[in-house]
Amino acid sequence: MTSVVATNQTILVVGGGISGMTAALEAAETGKQVVLVERNPWLGGRTAQLYRYFPKMCHPTCGLEINLRRLKANPRIQVLTLAEVTGISGTKGDYSVTVKLTPRHVNENCTACGDCGKAVSAEIDDAFNYNLGKIKAAYLPHSMAYPQRYVIDRSIVGTPEADKAKAACKYGAIDLEQQEEVVSLKAGAIVWATGWKPYDAEKITPYRYGEFPNVITNVEFERLADPHGPTGGKILRPSDGREAKNVAFIQCAGSRDENHLRHCSRFCCMGSLKQTHYVQEAYGDAGKSTIYYIDIRAIDRFEDFYAKVKANPNVSFIKSKVARISQDKDQNPVLWGVNTEGYKRYSNPHDLVVLAVGMEPSVKGVDIPAEVMADSSGFIMADPANAGIFGAGCATNALDVNRAVQSATAAALRAIQVVNKVARAEA
Amino acid sequence: MSNANEQMAARYKNNFLKEIEEQAEMGEWVKMCMQCGVCSGSCPTNFHPGWDHPPQEIFMMIRAGKREEVLTSNSMWMCTSCYNCYVRCPRKLPITHIMHGIAEYAYRLGVAPKFQPTLHLSQTFWNNCTKTGRVNEVKLTQSLYFKDGFMAGIKKGLEMKDVALGLVKAKRLNIMEALGGGHKCKDIKGIQAMLAKAKELEAKRKAAKAAA
Amino acid sequence: MAAEKKHAAYICSGCGLGERLDIAALEAAAKKEGKMQVVKTHAFLCSAEGVAMIRNDIDNDGVTHVAICACSRRAKTEAFNFPTTAISRGNLREGVIWVRPDTDEARETTQEMAEDYVRMACAEVKAMTQPSGNPNTGMNKTLLVVGGGMSGMTSALEAAKAGYKVVLVEKTGALGGWAAKLYKRVPTREPFKAPQDNGVADLVAQIEADANIKVYLNSTLAKTAGAPGRFKVDIAMESGPTVTEDIGAIVQATGFSLYDANKLPHLGYGKSPHVVDQAGLEELARAANGGVMKRADGKEVKSVVFVQCAGQRDATGEHLSYCSGYCCNTSVKQAMYFKDANPDVDCVVLYTDLRTPGNGEDFYRSAQNKGVIFSKGVVSEVVPGGNACTVKFHDLILDDKAAQIEADLVVLATGVVPNSGVNIDAVPAAPAEATEGAAPVVEEKPISILNLDYRQGPDIPQFKFGFTDSHFICFPYETRRTAIYTAGPVRRPMDIAQAQEDATGAAMKAIQAMENAGLGKAAHPRAGDLSFPTARLEGCTQCKRCTVECPFGAIDEDEKRFPLFNESRCRRCGTCMGACPVRVISFENYSVNTVGAQIKAVNIPDEFSEKPRILILACENDAYPALDMAAMNRNEYSAFVRAIPVRCLGSVNTIWITDALNSGYDGVMLMGCKHGEEYQCHFVKGSELGRYRLSKVGDTLKNMNLEAERVFDLEVAITDIDTLPRKINDYAAKIQEIGMSPFKGF
Repeated sequence: MTSVVATNQTILVVGGGISGMTAALEAAETGKQVVLVERNPWLGGRTAQLYRYFPKMCHPTCGLEINLRRLKANPRIQVLTLAEVTGISGTKGDYSVTVKLTPRHVNENCTACGDCGKAVSAEIDDAFNYNLGKIKAAYLPHSMAYPQRYVIDRSIVGTPEADKAKAACKYGAIDLEQQEEVVSLKAGAIVWATGWKPYDAEKITPYRYGEFPNVITNVEFERLADPHGPTGGKILRPSDGREAKNVAFIQCAGSRDENHLRHCSRFCCMGSLKQTHYVQEAYGDAGKSTIYYIDIRAIDRFEDFYAKVKANPNVSFIKSKVARISQDKDQNPVLWGVNTEGYKRYSNPHDLVVLAVGMEPSVKGVDIPAEVMADSSGFIMADPANAGIFGAGCATNALDVNRAVQSATAAALRAIQVVNKVARAEA
Repeated sequence: MSNANEQMAARYKNNFLKEIEEQAEMGEWVKMCMQCGVCSGSCPTNFHPGWDHPPQEIFMMIRAGKREEVLTSNSMWMCTSCYNCYVRCPRKLPITHIMHGIAEYAYRLGVAPKFQPTLHLSQTFWNNCTKTGRVNEVKLTQSLYFKDGFMAGIKKGLEMKDVALGLVKAKRLNIMEALGGGHKCKDIKGIQAMLAKAKELEAKRKAAKAAA
Repeated sequence: MAAEKKHAAYICSGCGLGERLDIAALEAAAKKEGKMQVVKTHAFLCSAEGVAMIRNDIDNDGVTHVAICACSRRAKTEAFNFPTTAISRGNLREGVIWVRPDTDEARETTQEMAEDYVRMACAEVKAMTQPSGNPNTGMNKTLLVVGGGMSGMTSALEAAKAGYKVVLVEKTGALGGWAAKLYKRVPTREPFKAPQDNGVADLVAQIEADANIKVYLNSTLAKTAGAPGRFKVDIAMESGPTVTEDIGAIVQATGFSLYDANKLPHLGYGKSPHVVDQAGLEELARAANGGVMKRADGKEVKSVVFVQCAGQRDATGEHLSYCSGYCCNTSVKQAMYFKDANPDVDCVVLYTDLRTPGNGEDFYRSAQNKGVIFSKGVVSEVVPGGNACTVKFHDLILDDKAAQIEADLVVLATGVVPNSGVNIDAVPAAPAEATEGAAPVVEEKPISILNLDYRQGPDIPQFKFGFTDSHFICFPYETRRTAIYTAGPVRRPMDIAQAQEDATGAAMKAIQAMENAGLGKAAHPRAGDLSFPTARLEGCTQCKRCTVECPFGAIDEDEKRFPLFNESRCRRCGTCMGACPVRVISFENYSVNTVGAQIKAVNIPDEFSEKPRILILACENDAYPALDMAAMNRNEYSAFVRAIPVRCLGSVNTIWITDALNSGYDGVMLMGCKHGEEYQCHFVKGSELGRYRLSKVGDTLKNMNLEAERVFDLEVAITDIDTLPRKINDYAAKIQEIGMSPFKGF
């Protein structure tokens, strides 16, 4: 049975992406007890799945390393992975929370030696790489996965494959008898940092995502560019593995669209501008990028990043919401539309099309087991009644990483205000 | 002030936009366009010549106060009512309806392009249909086929003869309707009264809108 | 009397170490050269049983120093967690067997590698002391907020709500800042359709009602001295005495100034009263107070044009090159002032990219619905006329280069310049030669905001465009002055909603900094670190390099001109230690000696062995994890390298390099983070300072008659998992090509 030490001065942080980790760390480094709950078997969230950040073109794993080191060094944070909050009752300063724990089937004895992975032959979709490849059913989700422990996928539990994994482990780390369990804990304040999900590109039917292999999404493109990704960092077409040197980026794929997401997702313009660098990095002057856009929203100091990309002769900009995509005989996606600057029609073939899909809050359509105010897009709103549950990061708004971290830092203080009040009352 | 100067002064003023909002069906949506161009790109006719201005450009021209150019444009008449643009518009503009609305307004003003085939068809259809409350297929076809002269009409008729025979066989076409009034609805007067009432209501609505 | 030291080495034979390595030889190395009093091997050291063995030795056998020779220091941290004991980690798994082929030929060199790492771990731990925390702490927990605008008021209130005392200093006679000058603000809540109250009165009332907040109006900071937890701040009041407050941490929320629209004569500003900036329009709106909008001459405005990006996003270098972020929404809001009062007013917004992120899209739609016309175009000129102005622009949609609009009023969206005080890094411009007849140019000197009594200057270092943001993506609050955080538009251009969120976060960081300063703990990125630098002043030559180089301005000079360490300002990067030419600066657990001893512990085979030794000094934040992950992917590299993690490239003292070369190492690889404008160094300037210092090593090489290639500076990112092993191998090949060092065996 997993034991969690928590009182009504504990801060519960739901979501272990960069926002949740930030909120947890800022609170813990201020001396507060924190329980951090993450649904995946690893921490880091969607930022860990990015290759580079704009505007510095630095690597998200660099910051993740620091955050993990802060976490490892801090005894005040208890991390629960493969965990989901299923119930919240009580009020500000005095919540009772139930958390469902899905078995990892690997205990703390695991040394991440990898013997179980070698023993198993069954493969599953590689969720970390947005299912662009396969991994073994006994796996370390990625090189920086924390906890640094393997996972036995539930699909092989009860099959000889799982027995092979168990037999290969010299350290008694594999426990196939682990059952789902529900733990209860107390919390004084809750930070809800469950982040976002990429808008389902299949819903934008004229773009034929899911049907044309060479139409992919921006989050998938990050994995293609990443040396740890399924192609080892090579930008290759999914259809034939050919080098994709002529890449189109379609902005507002889902965003700013009342048929899909009403809001502007904010990060996608900069995301695509950044991804033109990947094309350039991979193919030099032979790599060509075309951005189809309505407005380029390189807000505030990001403008100079935009200016630099604009000055690159290998990147073109077309002010147009692409109407539809067809496919020629070589499976080249062909983009159809009208350049609204001066009304010029185009039907442009590309090697690869990247849909800059927008940000949908993860909480949308999900029952948060408590009263949390959300706007009509599903983003959590600050509650003027100031209950003890606070949104943080992309659960509250379409934010880039920098702003998500600010939001999470602010949320940590709001949570501290509540538990400090509890502490003062109890003193 | 000369006319050109007046026109220039009216540029990017709301005058013409307001006029369209008041006078054209669904014209109040024009201001909501954000110039993404997906309507133009989605239009199946768009990749054929003949359009002066695609919808989003028409909307911008309205906002820019280019009254004469918009109203005399042939663009609204090119619309096939496929509704692709309507479905795709991220601002949910009823573009098909707006285009028809502007077309109708241009027609009402008498500035619609002359010899515009869609306009001709629409007018012919309307006249044909409202006369008896039913469409007289033979007469409608005749007036369309022969609009460019007798020989052209014969030629077109021969081209389409197989279709016509098929329709006759299926009892969807009665050649005898070339003579006389053809089939009609039971209460022609009633239909015409309804149309008159609709016209009256429409005029009232527009007046109210203009006043608002 | 110092407690007796007892050194122990624990060697793990699990994870294949036992199969791949001669464990007995490792034990012997730990005993003999490592001089460990206790040496134990366990088949599964990180197991509960293995850990209990170590724990027992610490608790019952007097072991004080532990060398764990097993996996990387990044692995199994929960198991090997002995907070009161000095620990070193000999990296035999990721550092040796996972990067070496399991072949008979490789066995010998792999074993040598492992034995060296055991000796290094022993040598390191013997040179370490477990730090007990900076004793020179300040316990003050009062937050100083500089600036009484929306950001400052928010920081103050949020900190007070958490139970902290706040001193709020405002330069003018009233709280509210720019926001108080706004008729209304952009909406922050659904339905995002109409401007809302600016919210200033509410915040001011809350501040006045809060007993924890002390407000100084008409006041500035005359001097800020001290360190986190013990700042002494002199507050100068316009009329009245200077007061000194004891402060724990500071939030600087000094906001922005409007870009001077007088620099935009081509847009008519200054030529006609009917061309205003956004602030001017707010004035008109407040005068109208919801009624019809009138211009300066009292005439009702019937048509208005908003010119976006006026003097912004400018590529010519004449005006602001950045976008101010908020102005699109502001123009949307201001157009609504007109439309809400009179829907017949013609409002046109001329933009190139309309930037209304998030739910701003709803606000934009709402303005369109109210009849505001948005047009994509570039304005070339505003020509003031008698009664109306003519705006000439290129309509990009209709491709009309000669488009123009006449309007009663033109509003320029001019953007912001941060109020960040003195740029302490500015290179003073050479005095311009006086041209005959020209009036002497009087450069306006910025006035300091904080007046820091720091050796490195009176204000927070600036980054791009004068903003004080560190521009870290993951850690946006980190300035280069510990416990002084900036918030709001001084940090980056932002709107009120963002500024308030930002101000709350900054208050969080400031509170955290005060708490940790009181406990003698470091702030980010080595949060919680109890080590701190000390100097043997008797050896100090007063060269001042440490005081100049410290990226965080932690070191002042005392009255005898010796370095004066303010431990609470220190971020523990070790740059001072790296800079010190006489090596008098050290941390208890990280010193010239902890690294130097490891360098010396490596066994150097003789010249004829054909086994070169290459020292790698790797940044522990990026390069060392990259090596680790390369190992996890089983990317092999040369058995001739010995890697030592360093806190930052900035902490690398050249003595390590000269010592290594003198003792017969054949090459030295320095692995640090990218520096320069897009720096990736967690200590901002550390890798840059380190690189600059180490670039001088060439002279030393020359003096030693060694090839320049024997020291190789490599920029490494954490993702270089595939490329890094390749580069190591290339370098090893190059060293073999150059030949063995002539210094072996001396």
